[in-house]
This record gives sequence, C-alpha cells and structure tokens, in this order.
Amino acid sequence: MFIAELDNVGKHYGTVEALKDVDLRVEKGELVALLGPNGAGKTTAVNILLGQRRPDKGTARLFGRNPTKPAARTPVGVTPQQTAFPQNLKVREVVGLVQAHYPDTPSGKHLLDRFGLADLEGRSAGGLSGGQQRRLALALAFAGNPKAVFLDEPTTGVDVEARHNLWTGINSFVDAGGTVLLTTHYLEEAEALASRIVVIHHGSIIAEGSVSEITASVGLSQVRLRADHLPELANADRIEHNNGIKVIYTADPDALVQELAAAGVQFVGLEITRAGLEDAFLTLTGGGQ
Amino acid sequence: MTALTITRAHFKDQMLQHLRAPGYLVPTLAMPAMFFFLFQGGGESTVGNTFTMASYMMWAILAVAFFQFGVGIASERSTPWESFLRTLPLPPLLRLAGRLLAAMVFAVVAAAIVVAVSYLTTPISMAADRWVPLAAALLAGGFTMAFAGIAIGYWFSPKAAQPVATMAWLLLAYLGGLWAAPSNLPAWTENIAPYLPTRLWGNITWPAVLGDTTTLTTSLTTTASLTDWLGLAGYAVLFAALAVWGYQRDEGTNYA
Repeated sequence: MFIAELDNVGKHYGTVEALKDVDLRVEKGELVALLGPNGAGKTTAVNILLGQRRPDKGTARLFGRNPTKPAARTPVGVTPQQTAFPQNLKVREVVGLVQAHYPDTPSGKHLLDRFGLADLEGRSAGGLSGGQQRRLALALAFAGNPKAVFLDEPTTGVDVEARHNLWTGINSFVDAGGTVLLTTHYLEEAEALASRIVVIHHGSIIAEGSVSEITASVGLSQVRLRADHLPELANADRIEHNNGIKVIYTADPDALVQELAAAGVQFVGLEITRAGLEDAFLTLTGGGQ
Repeated sequence: MTALTITRAHFKDQMLQHLRAPGYLVPTLAMPAMFFFLFQGGGESTVGNTFTMASYMMWAILAVAFFQFGVGIASERSTPWESFLRTLPLPPLLRLAGRLLAAMVFAVVAAAIVVAVSYLTTPISMAADRWVPLAAALLAGGFTMAFAGIAIGYWFSPKAAQPVATMAWLLLAYLGGLWAAPSNLPAWTENIAPYLPTRLWGNITWPAVLGDTTTLTTSLTTTASLTDWLGLAGYAVLFAALAVWGYQRDEGTNYA
C-alpha cells in the first residue's frame, strides 16, 4: 500500500487542463518534494490527494482509502496556508480545535514547545509574526500524531536558525518512519530535505528522481568567468550577468571553453561547476518561469 | 474524536470567536430590544404589549439566523482557514452543527433581552403556562429561518450576503406583521403578506403567547390553524433544499 497515490489522474478547470494523466506514488518513509512553477498543477495534485477536489479521471488514494472520506485523512497532518489563523482565537485554542479531530494527540504544551512556541500559547493566533505563524502552521500538521504530513512552504519567512531547527525536526520525523510530501518554491529546502524530487509542469510530471539524478539528467554545468564581451555561443544554454561575472549554463563545458578560445574571447577567473537543483529546475521548466 | 467531541470543539470555536467580537455581537443581539423600547414600549394594552413582545422575539431570532449564522457562513466559507479545516478528518455537517448550536445560544440571549426590556419598560401580561408553547413556536420558526440563513450563506458572496440578509430581514419583519400587527398593514400587502414565512410563524407564535385571552384583532384566531403549521413546515423543507443545493453548488465551484 502507498501512503499517497494518484493513478492516471486528470483534472480540468473549464478549458484549462490542470493535470494530465498524472501518476504519483509516495511510499512510507519517503520525503517527496513536489516542485513546479506557479500554476503547474502542484496545488491541484495536493488538493486531490487530500480529498479537497475530485479528479475528472483516474483515482486518488490516501493510505489506500478514498481521501474525500473525512476518516481517510486521520493519519495525515496538513499545514494551513500562511496568515490564515482566526484573529479571535489564542494559539492554545487553535491547537485544541485541531486536536479535537484526532484519536491520539501529544499534549498541546509539548507540541508548542517542540516548535518553539511555548511562550506564545496565550497569544492571539492572528497576531503572530510571519515566522511564528509558519511555526504554528507546522505544529498543526503534527498536532494529531500523523503518520504522514503534507507541508506547503514550511519554512518560508522563518529565520535561518529556526529554519535549520525545523529541518532537523522534519528529518527526525522521517527517520522515525514518517512520510512527507513537501511543496515548496524554495529549492534549497527541497535540496536539503527531499529523498525524491518530482517536477510538475503544465499539468504533467516531467522529471522524477533524487536531487543528484535530477541535476545529472539535466546534465547542466555552470561556467563562470569575467569577460567584457561574449559572442554568440552555440554551446551556451543560457547566460546570466552578475556584477561583471558572466554565468554560462551549458551541457558541454569542454566544448564551450574551446568555443570561447576559438572565438578569441579574453576571459579571466574561469570556474566550472555542476549546476544545482535550482538551475536544473529552471532548465526543465523552460527557465525563469 | 467522536462526532460529539468534534461538534463540541466547533461550538466552542464559534462561541469564542463571537464573544471576542463584541462590536459585532452586541448590536446584533440588542437591536431588536432597542427598537421595541424606542417604538413600542409603554403601550397601555397589556395584551397588545405581549403580542408585540412575541413579535420582537421572532425578529431578534431572525436577526441571529440571518446575520450571525447566515452571513457568518458566507464570510467564512472561502477563507484559507476554512479551507484548512476541510483538510482535517472533519465531516462538514459537524462544523455546521457547531455553528448552529452557537447560533441557538445567541438566539436565546437575543430573545431574552427582548423579554427583559419588555418587562422593565412596559405592562405585560403573560400567563405562566404560555412559556412552553411560546418556546415551541419560536423554536419551530427559528429552525425554519436558520435553514434560510444557511441558504443565504451559500448562495451569496461574502460582500452580497450582508445587504441581502438585511433587506430580507426588514421586509420579512414588516410584511410578516412583526412591527405593526397584520391588521394595521396597508391593504396592498394583503396579496403577499399572508403567505410569507414570518406571517405563518407569527400565526403560530401569537396564539401561543396570548392563549385564549385575545380579542386583539379580528384577523387573528386564538389557535394556530393546521395550515399555518403546514405552511411553515413547507418553508422549512424549501429553505433546507435551497441550503443543500447552495452547499453543493459551492462545493462544485471550489472543491469539485
């Protein structure tokens, strides 16, 4: 049995095809990052997996059950969207309301403590700072002792130290046998956490694998150098200008360097590195969104 | 996490959220009593005063059903927080049940304020054995109008719900005969008013509160006829159907 499964799922909104024949399977103990530009279909895929929308074709299953049945969602924790908390409820009351839906819950105090919110339990939930709201959102995903969590942008707007604490927390949840489906725009986060990346674009899954598999499949290298002027380069995939430094993305760095030399380009400070996940992502999704 | 635990949690949520927004709650609850005091209080006929008190109790309950309950649904149903609650193992009816229970508490409070203001400012004659029939009549109409509130909540946008509810609240009160007794309304109303849910509700409530003492107007009988009960029940079914339809339509728009 899969923790979460989309089987040949298609979904239209009017004439817009939000998902086309998507197959997605999340196994126990995986940390899958679902990446894609805005409007690529990530949110639709997650909403279908959580029973918030029905697919036009295909099937969605959560722990082997139909996710539109409320009881099927009992083993799953979800983060609410940012700035979504009611103005008139205290942090402790928000946690209490959410915990009322689960058979087995950690004590509210213990939960808030784990997410660095111990001093804030009497504060108005709507009045928390952005970073505090993110931490509360994450705490709510874990409020019912879930077997799997769906995290949406879990650490956007959180400071660096808190972010690393939260990442440690997410990793230890996975080490203890938990499963995570992560959606994020923040690729460093996906790179740091994910055991598997799924890239979705125009409603289809276009790449899938570990971070190194994805970057290798794109096969992109970054060539950095200083030069006054660059000619048209047949081997350059994309060129960025960065404070006088030219960053050239290429599938074949050797050929590119030879091309530069042949064209008589006067360059200094040459560096060649394998491109990271962000570069691979931009290449896969057609660059710069 | 039984249905009871979940319903109780949502009841508490609704109570807290409303009690902490007194700027909205207090005027909603106190306005019918204030209008009673300003425009109706101090009348000499105790029978007439008692009749009016019952009318204003209906009007107060109608306000809670439309504003706190109906407009509350409209303004919250598309918020990100409500979307998050939908991802919990929460059967939608239990959230609605929590809302309804909180609305019932506030309806009782609003009606009690009308009773308190009436007794303090105006001669009232209410026989002790009339309270139970009055409560039954108010409850029957209250539920009917709560279904109408849900329908407003799901059929109208957050922005539109408030003015739509206000207009319906005022028209239904006036034509129903809650401000001025039906016999004092202009002649043109006679073609519509007798068929409105508030009039049917009044036809049940007024005899319940006045018992056999009434000789107030010729247009009122001292006992509610079966037609009034059936008419009100018909409205309850109609509003419930509109509510379910509106709910499914909203699900279809946002969650299909």
